Parts: sequence; C-alpha cells; structure tokens
Amino acid sequence: MGLRDRAALLLAGPGTAWLAAFFVLPLAIIFVVSLGQRDALDRISLADPSLANYARAFDPRFLPTFLNSLRYAALTTILSLAIGYPIAYWISRHGGRRKVLLIVLVMLPFWTSYLIRTYAWMIVLRDNGVVNALLQAVGLTSEPLILLNTDFSVVLGMTYGFLPFAILPLYVSIDRLDENLVAAARDLYASGRAAFLHVTLPLTMPGVIAAALLTFIPAIGDFVTPDLLGGAETTTIAKVVQELFLQGRDWPYGAAIGFLLMVVTLAGTLLAVRTVRRELVGGGD
Amino acid sequence: MSHAYDGRSIDLEKALVRYMVERRISRRQLLDRIAKLGAAAALGPVIAACTGGASQAPSSGPSAAPSTEPTTAGPTPVPEPEKELFVYNWTGYIGEDTIPAFEAKYDVKVTYDFFSNTSEAYAKLGDDGGGYDLSFPISVDIPAFVAKGALRPLDKTLLPNIVNLGAEWADPGYDPGNTHSVPYMWWTTGVGYDTTKVTDSPTSSTALWDPRYGDHISMLDDYQECFALALIQLGYSANSTNTAELDEALALLQAQKPLVRVYSTDTVATMSGGDVWIGHIWGADLYAITTENPNVAYYIPEEGGVRGSDTMAIFSGAKHPIAAHLFINHMLDAQVSASNTNYIGYMGPNAAAKEFIEPYILEDPAVNPEEAILDKLQELLDLGQAVRDEYLSRWQVLRGGG
Repeated sequence: MGLRDRAALLLAGPGTAWLAAFFVLPLAIIFVVSLGQRDALDRISLADPSLANYARAFDPRFLPTFLNSLRYAALTTILSLAIGYPIAYWISRHGGRRKVLLIVLVMLPFWTSYLIRTYAWMIVLRDNGVVNALLQAVGLTSEPLILLNTDFSVVLGMTYGFLPFAILPLYVSIDRLDENLVAAARDLYASGRAAFLHVTLPLTMPGVIAAALLTFIPAIGDFVTPDLLGGAETTTIAKVVQELFLQGRDWPYGAAIGFLLMVVTLAGTLLAVRTVRRELVGGGD
Repeated sequence: MSHAYDGRSIDLEKALVRYMVERRISRRQLLDRIAKLGAAAALGPVIAACTGGASQAPSSGPSAAPSTEPTTAGPTPVPEPEKELFVYNWTGYIGEDTIPAFEAKYDVKVTYDFFSNTSEAYAKLGDDGGGYDLSFPISVDIPAFVAKGALRPLDKTLLPNIVNLGAEWADPGYDPGNTHSVPYMWWTTGVGYDTTKVTDSPTSSTALWDPRYGDHISMLDDYQECFALALIQLGYSANSTNTAELDEALALLQAQKPLVRVYSTDTVATMSGGDVWIGHIWGADLYAITTENPNVAYYIPEEGGVRGSDTMAIFSGAKHPIAAHLFINHMLDAQVSASNTNYIGYMGPNAAAKEFIEPYILEDPAVNPEEAILDKLQELLDLGQAVRDEYLSRWQVLRGGG
C-alpha cells in the first residue's frame, strides 16, 4: 500500500465513521426492529425474526397516504426549484459585494426553530389570520377563505421550509459557471433563452440535482409541516409511522414502513440521478 | 432521513410542551396521551442484540411477565413510616401545602420530582419505579404496569381514607377494586363550540356531523377518542371490541370526514383562530381555550362521554412502602384533596372533598359535570394488542381517505 493510499484511507476515516454512526447504525437498528414482533407487553421481541411486517406494510389502505406524501414532496421540489433558481441566479449575477450578506439572509430563517416558524404560518393562514384580514379589509372577500389545513397550506409550508436547501446548491453551481461561456454563446447568435437552455442550465444541472434531492428527500418524510398545517385530508406516511409507534405501540410494524419508505426513496433517487446524468453526459462514468 | 424526523418529532414534543406551559394549558395534552408505555425501554433488547454484548436478555422471552409478585414485606407492617419518601408527579399537579403538611404530620422527608410527559416519566420509572416509591400513572396504563409486575398491591388497611372516594370510583375498569392504584384526578372529553357561530346550544354529539358547520368541525387526533365518540353515539360501549360495531363506527366517522377541517389535539390553536366552530375537545383544555377565545362553551354529549383519570400507585421497587401508603391516605383526606383541586383546577374522585372545593370549580361544567351526566361517562381502557390493531387499521382507513 502506497503512502498516497494510506493518506487517502486516513482522510476518509472521519467521514466513514460519521456515516457509520449517524446513518448506517440507525438504519441497521430500524431494519433489525422491523424484523421483530411485539411481545405481550408491547416490547420488541426478536425471538422469531421474519419479514411479516413487510407483508403487512403492503396494504392497499396505505396507498392514498403514500401518494399524498409523494405528491407533496414532488410539488415542494418543483416549487423550490422554480423559486430557488431565479433567486440563486440573481444573487450570483447581481449580488455584487452583497453576495455573502444575501446568502446569509437566505439562511436567516434557520436562526429560529422550524416549529415556531410553522406556528407563525398558522397565524398567517388561519380564518382569523393575517391574509384573511387583509383580503377582507381590502374588500376582495367577505368571508374568510379556507387556507389553513389544506393541500395548499401543506405545500406552502414545506416549500417555505425547504427552499433554502434548494437555493444553496443552486447558488454554488451557478456561481461557479464561467460567464464567458454564456457570452460566447451569445456571440454565436444564441438568443438569451437559447443560451440559458443550452449552456447555463446544463452546466448547472449538478446544482439542480443536488437541490432536488435536498428538498425531495426531507419533504417525503416530513412529519411536522403536514401535522401542523395539514387538515383532515392531508395524512402523510410519516404520520402513519408516528401513529404506529406511539398510538399503536407497534414498533416493528412502524419500523418496517419507515424502512420501506427509505428504500423506495433511495431507489427512486438513484434512478433519477442516473437518468439525468445519462441525458447530460450521454453515458455513465 | 428517518433519523431526521425522529429528531424533529422530539423537538416538536419539547417545543409543544413549552408552548403549552407558556399558554398555561394544564399539563395534560396530546403528547401525554400519545406517548404511551415503554417507548424507550422497548429498544433495550435490540441494542443488546446489535452490540452483541449482554447474552440474550431473559426478559425478551415469549411470556415475559415476571411472575415474581412483589413481596408483601413481611407480616402486617406496623404503620410506623420510613423516614423518607420518593414521589414522582406531573409538574404543578399538587396543592402547595400538601407535601409540607404530610412531612410535618408523619416526620417523613419527601423527595418530590416532576415530569411533563409520560414517555419521559415511564422510561424513568421502568419496571420497578426506578428509585421512586410512588408515582401518578394515567389510568389506561395501569393494566400494563400490573402485567409487568411494576406495581405493588395496595394494603387497604393502611388507606382508611379510601372510603372518601365517590361510589363510581369503587371499581374502575382499568383496575377493578383499586387493587394497585387509587384515582387522583379526572377529566372528560366532550364538545367545545364557539357560541357566536353555533348559536343553538347543541347537546348531542351529532352536532359534530351538522353540515352547517362543514369545514369548521374538528375531531381529536386520537383514534380511541374518535371511535369512542362514534360508538357512544351509536349506543355501543366506548370500549367496544365487536368488529361489526367498529365497522359501523368507521362508517359514521367516514360520513363525517368531508365536513371535518382537521383532526388535531391542539384545540387551543384551532378554536381560537376561527378555523373551528365546533370541536371534539378535552374538557381540561377549555380553560386555556377560553383565555384565547372567551366565546367557547363546552358540553358532554347527552349520549354519554369519555372520562380519563390519573392514579396514584406504589411501585414494586419501593423502599418506603409504608410512607407511600400513608402519603396516598393523606392525599385521600377530604381537605387535602380539596386543596389539591383548588390549586390544580381538576376534580378529584373524592366525594367527601366537595364541600371544601371552591365554588367556581364546582360550577364549571367542563371540570365538574352535572350529576346526570356522570353516570354516562365511560373510561377508555387499554383493549390489548389485537383489539387495538382493529381500531388502528380502521383509523388508518379513515385518515388515509381512499
């Protein structure tokens, strides 16, 4: 083993240890729990491990709930990209000396607990809330609009919450883009739109993918936002897992659904990344 | 990812507890109810299995209940109390003079710790009290504690004041004959409504199905409470185990769902923001709701309602059992019980205490319902795994839509 290899191993150590401790180990625990059963006192028993909980997890009654989660996560991702890209682009191209300040401003909401901010949305959106008061004061509506406890409020809250996760990687990849390439395209008579579509967008695609992953993955497992801003029709799979753990006291069953969700998300993500990469680069690496 | 939302939900829990405390909501709230027995303890065998240490834990066998009944501490103990007592209770859940009076009367030094949610408390209490002699479990959890041998059978000869309990508390379903626990405080589940929106003073739970209030109705986000409400409306037991009855209740709740704005236990937020005009609420939250929206009134449906309670119980590992019995007996004293109620604002089960309770509490129908309705209250029971699954799968069908 050469010196370089050894140095590489050494450098990979902390990262590997971090991944093992905070990703692989919890995942392994969830998987092990999912193979067990409840004993008579609702404790986890691994006496007779089986995949029975996975069979139970494929129950059609969970399908609408799963589709809800998927829909919210997809909408959140699309909106975050659609809103985040222009913001990141603007900061990078027109931020000038204030770039750092602007990026700090994007991160500023993180200084307050997510829960508090979500409660603030409740106050904004509820029937006696800020939006309805404004609409009625201006005379646009006479009755309160139902904004809170709807699909709208859930997607709004999630997009609000995950938008900074989209802006940051988008900003990094847009900022890294050599402006001369865009200028060259324009010199060669590309319209602004064509230059964007054929130069800027493909070259910043890694940022777009990273942004999509960083919003979609937490969004599909989000529990807090749908629970606080959602209503009677907005049940998500994270809520089902939470109920199985706490109200049902059936940890193995809840763990199986949680683990399945993770596998589905991971598989979908890998597939998406590969497809996009193949289209961009024309073949894998 | 799952790791991430696990963390969040813990944050959520803490923040909500803080939020509730700041709003002066009595400590009883959603998390106390949803966080049930054995959450932290349940992972024990798994971690042991994963780390490969600690050869197979004997407790994870199929019939895990330890058959070792707590020893009755020799022949009839003399009521000379030990010098110490370790008590573990909810935050702010006892009268201010109760403990000093007990310490002075029996010359016992009381170490009094408190908790703000059951998951925290039950993890600490474990299978034998975790060093505490006495704590205050929720009544529904008593059977599970008894099953795992965590509670010490009560010696009634040391509890002469137990005669003060109202007759309806002699034989509660969660602990027939009060053999392992004594009720401490109780509350009801009913219907709250904004009198400016719902003007015809409803008395039945069917008001929660009234299309005039469509999109402004809320139900508790608690499967057992929702099914109990529907079952009672249908004339069945709140603790029905009959699957045909459960199917009927599900159909009733499904018919209601298009009118329901939200299933939530944060009724203080929903009923003060104008979103909910009529909601299924815990009576104990009414006070907090009315501080935000004074127009909210409360009733227990004429068809019947649900009663919940906290208990006092002595743990199997108690090192000061006599002092613990004397403490329970002290709490059962009419005047002590009344001063606890006057401080907390909850009714106790103590019939003899009534004459010492402040009139404003006695006159509050949310806290002290009229006699006629008391007989129609049912306490929710832990129905066991199989029945719980029957409820939960129907609840998932209801909530998932489809």
